[in-house]
Amino acid sequence: MIEVRDVTRQFGALAALSHASFTVEPGEIVALLGPNGAGKTTASRIIGGILAPSDGDVLVDGISVRADANAVRARCGFVTDQPSLYERMPLRRYLGFFARLYEVSDPDDRALELAKVLGLDDVLDTRLGAFSRGMRQKVAIARALVHDPPVLLLDEPATALDPEMAKTLRSFIVSLRARHRAILLTTHDLDEAQRIADRVVVLYRGRVVRVGATNEIRAVGQPRYTVTFAGDAAMALSALAKAGVRGEPAGASDGLLALRFATDDPRTTNTAVLRSLLDADIRVVTLAAEERSLEEAYMAILADVRT
Amino acid sequence: MKWWLIAWREIRWEVFLDRASLLRMSIFIVIPMLFIFSNRRIPLGTGGDLTLVALAAQSVFFPALSGVALIAATFTAEKENGTLVPLLAAPIRDFDIVLGKLVGMVVPVMLTCAVTLAAAYALASFRYGAPRVASALGPEVLYAILVLAFLYLITTGSITMIVAARVRSSRAAQQVAGLVIALSVFVLGGLGFVASQVAEGWPLVAVGALLVLFDLVALEIARRVWQRGEVIARI
Repeated sequence: MIEVRDVTRQFGALAALSHASFTVEPGEIVALLGPNGAGKTTASRIIGGILAPSDGDVLVDGISVRADANAVRARCGFVTDQPSLYERMPLRRYLGFFARLYEVSDPDDRALELAKVLGLDDVLDTRLGAFSRGMRQKVAIARALVHDPPVLLLDEPATALDPEMAKTLRSFIVSLRARHRAILLTTHDLDEAQRIADRVVVLYRGRVVRVGATNEIRAVGQPRYTVTFAGDAAMALSALAKAGVRGEPAGASDGLLALRFATDDPRTTNTAVLRSLLDADIRVVTLAAEERSLEEAYMAILADVRT
Repeated sequence: MKWWLIAWREIRWEVFLDRASLLRMSIFIVIPMLFIFSNRRIPLGTGGDLTLVALAAQSVFFPALSGVALIAATFTAEKENGTLVPLLAAPIRDFDIVLGKLVGMVVPVMLTCAVTLAAAYALASFRYGAPRVASALGPEVLYAILVLAFLYLITTGSITMIVAARVRSSRAAQQVAGLVIALSVFVLGGLGFVASQVAEGWPLVAVGALLVLFDLVALEIARRVWQRGEVIARI
């Protein structure tokens, strides 16, 4: 597991990370979100033992990155947005090289095994320079898994991948969670984070501004509802006002209109809204809760932090 | 021995399978041969001996120059392509990366130096006569030239590494390192000349010792500037 304890990292006068604390448990995917320059890559580099913290500490599998950075590196698999491969080397030699660096007992067997898992076994002796973008990213993942690490640090792994390849990658990451890996996923793709992350950490200007389960973060804020109906929009708005809520247009389709409203007490308000609409001869078709996307929740968090 | 893994990868995949590296080395091998071809006759006496020693020295120092381009390309290319990040993420000491890359440059270049020296010796023997060449270039002279070439390589390699840590492109690294190395060659060459005039033996050994000391300092600086934290902050 990963424990980030009050970590600060200074680059001269700039604090790239400031008193950041969060954890990632085994069998959990945590998405590290934040705008550019928020400190996501710095955080993941500190956890991976590439960059030393200026203050605070990180424990990986109980080992302090300050006390034994090499032991921490041996427990982390690191994937960056760019595959960054040695173009002249064939896949077999490339994976074998990293397996030896990580002191894997049977490096050549491990290279073959990983190539099979990732569907690259038919190109084992092909030079990496000839690989497509998707294949290269697979190789980067294989490199990160070469020593079977308990912790995976994925920094924008699906950047520039086509949707099909991105989906395959997502499925693979989820399968790693099932194998009890602690996975920290740094991403700008909020849709991807919403699909696979169990928890979310939001960074802003080096500070952790929100940590929580993905569903909880999406649920934060006033719940919103949409009512779809046949009838006059002005009358419907007036009916909503009588019920004590402020409605706003939410589009129209198939001859039906929709209004959106927010409430903290749906049990009372929704009943009053329905009664008021029916009293006004509005033919209500549906009344449904609106699910907030992670993107909306994230934008709301950032807007909140900026004000 | 993880430094050797890095060195061997460099030698095999980045030097001997890189056409540009091989072409560069071939040019540096051919140039000293042209010098021998262009010198029709070597006079008898000390002047002729010195010319032969100079030709032998050139046949080693020209290939050694290719080491600057090689190590500049190796380090800056790793930074430019991002391939340094996976290496920095691996459980290896910072010095293993520096040593591995330095050895990865020194081994093929020293091999080239030895081959060029042997070829130059053979060509000179054919052109000026084997006894004449053997009298000027005894085993101890050839051995001294190779040792000096080795020390020179460590010097140029360390300086290039220090420069490569600070600049972004391999071209800039080659240019700045070339300038520093050219100036250091003048200084060391001047010191060597003065030492040879003072007395025989020990002053030249002192210059050699100075070069070793310089190498150690340059290596230590290279190690410091190539520490993970320093490097990753510039990628």
